[in-house]
Amino acid sequence: MEKGTSLWNDAWRRLSHNLPAIISLFVLIFILLLCFIGPLLPFVQSPSAIDLANSTAGPSTAHWFGTDPLGRDLFSRVLYGGRVSLSVGLVATAVAVCIGVIYGAIAGYAGGKLDDFLMRFVDILFALPFLVLVILFSLVVDRPASEFTEWFIRKSGWARDSVAPITTLIPLFIAIGAIGWLTIARIVRAQVMAVKNQEFVEAAVSLGLSRSRILFRHILPNVIGPIIIYTTLAVPGIMLLESVLSFLGLGVKPPGSSWGILIKEGADRMETSWLLLFFPSLFFASTLFALNFLGDGLRDALDPKSAKD
Amino acid sequence: MIRLILSRLGQGIITLFVLVTLTFFLVRAMPGSPYTDEKKIPEHTLKRMKAYTGLDQPVPVQYARYLKNVILHQDLGDLIRRDGVKVSEIIGESFPVSLGLGVLSIGIALIIGIPAGVIAAVRKNTALDFSCLAAAMLGICLPSFVIGPLLAVTAGLGLKSLNVAGWSSPSDWILPAITLGLINAAYLARLARGGMLDVLSQDYIRTARAKGASPSRIVIRHALRGGLIPAVAFIGPAFAGMISGSFVIETIFQIPGMGQHFVNAATDREFFLIQGLVLFYGFLIVGANLLADLVQIALNPRLRSA
Repeated sequence: MEKGTSLWNDAWRRLSHNLPAIISLFVLIFILLLCFIGPLLPFVQSPSAIDLANSTAGPSTAHWFGTDPLGRDLFSRVLYGGRVSLSVGLVATAVAVCIGVIYGAIAGYAGGKLDDFLMRFVDILFALPFLVLVILFSLVVDRPASEFTEWFIRKSGWARDSVAPITTLIPLFIAIGAIGWLTIARIVRAQVMAVKNQEFVEAAVSLGLSRSRILFRHILPNVIGPIIIYTTLAVPGIMLLESVLSFLGLGVKPPGSSWGILIKEGADRMETSWLLLFFPSLFFASTLFALNFLGDGLRDALDPKSAKD
Repeated sequence: MIRLILSRLGQGIITLFVLVTLTFFLVRAMPGSPYTDEKKIPEHTLKRMKAYTGLDQPVPVQYARYLKNVILHQDLGDLIRRDGVKVSEIIGESFPVSLGLGVLSIGIALIIGIPAGVIAAVRKNTALDFSCLAAAMLGICLPSFVIGPLLAVTAGLGLKSLNVAGWSSPSDWILPAITLGLINAAYLARLARGGMLDVLSQDYIRTARAKGASPSRIVIRHALRGGLIPAVAFIGPAFAGMISGSFVIETIFQIPGMGQHFVNAATDREFFLIQGLVLFYGFLIVGANLLADLVQIALNPRLRSA
């Protein structure tokens, strides 16, 4: 029997012909592996081992990227910082996408007055100064988050070093996620409205399925394409936001590190050693570059109509 | 059209109201207070100070009083930690600086971004197009705190006349404005390219081509007007964002603008200064969005009937 090509097969075929997108995909996988698995390898040094005799050294076989002013190994600092930056980017985007998809789907499916009200609310939030609110919000949830950290350490008995780097980021996740869901809500609403009058939805209605089952089992799977595209394009924006907040001293705080913090430290000492700025910036920019190209490629692959050529 | 403007205006007022309320309660939910200092303030002094600023009242009373002062008297309140300095004075001092930086950088963004995007669209899928796109992507992906120091080192040290930090002579304005301008030029170029590509594939362009109009005339007379709509829509919010969102640039180049005041006020818990600055930002954003809507209507006749 001949096999039909599914949407996903089709999309993958188109994506695999898009050279920049495929290169981006490999670059991303490489960076992800490097940052999350790399630090487990035996030859990667501790990112916090201070060696003042060997400060601001150039690259060598012992320190691949050289050392920072405190003699810490820059290579491992870039890897550990990448863990933080990538986690913030991925988790905050996940929070934003979850809120946005549910909100947009309900607005689009309900229609009428409820839709009007929900979308007017989004319009209003959209006009608010985003960065300003993220800053205020992250200050508000700062203390509850550190209390949570203490509570979690007491309850679980895990080492502080393995808990604190993650739990202290919770304000960032919430702050960025809580305000980043607006665009995705608009996109999902428009998509749901386009799909909800099609025959397969009518069929589901006539089968007597419940409204929530129709929305989440029948309509949402059909609008997954735009959601994936937007998610890919949202991660770089959110990573940039994290770096800006860390740069201003409001995001990740030392001794924790992220690419944003490393870049700031590098920029401060650019005149003595430009490598301190170069390596973190290289990783940061490559990740964002790859995500953007992959997002553009996915848009062309999943949504051929909008492909501009 | 008048109805459209009125409804946008109404929405703007609601936006400002939501913003004021949100900020008010966020600020009061923050841990710490404006009075935490290295040295301990005696109990009765603290009480008097709180009574003076009204911070001893219950929060709903404070809220009502704040709204009343803002709406009826246009009074944003005083600074808490610095006696006798009004919030409006701080804004009055720092806003011209931020505005100057914003205007200069949006000019730079327009001069670089729009032509780059239009040329990329006209020369689609050529090396020129790809290099414009790659440059724009680089501008979007590099955080401003990388572009800033890089420019400062390459230009500021090469040309001795340009100061890397400070805000005293006009030459101090150049580097920060270019830094801020380049980032927005990147967004503008992408939007202009997308919009132009949309327009260039439409029927009326084919008609113009068929009647023998020259390629440059087609682009300038026929396509530009429609093709630039997405870019224009971005300028409004971008302008407000430039004035308020130049926090990083102001930190790098040590510019005494509003962004610096905001970051300091947030860490010092200067309640009234935070609220005043956020309200002022909101005002700018609502105004800029309204202006962008009007320009869009002027550019796109189809919106006029709505």
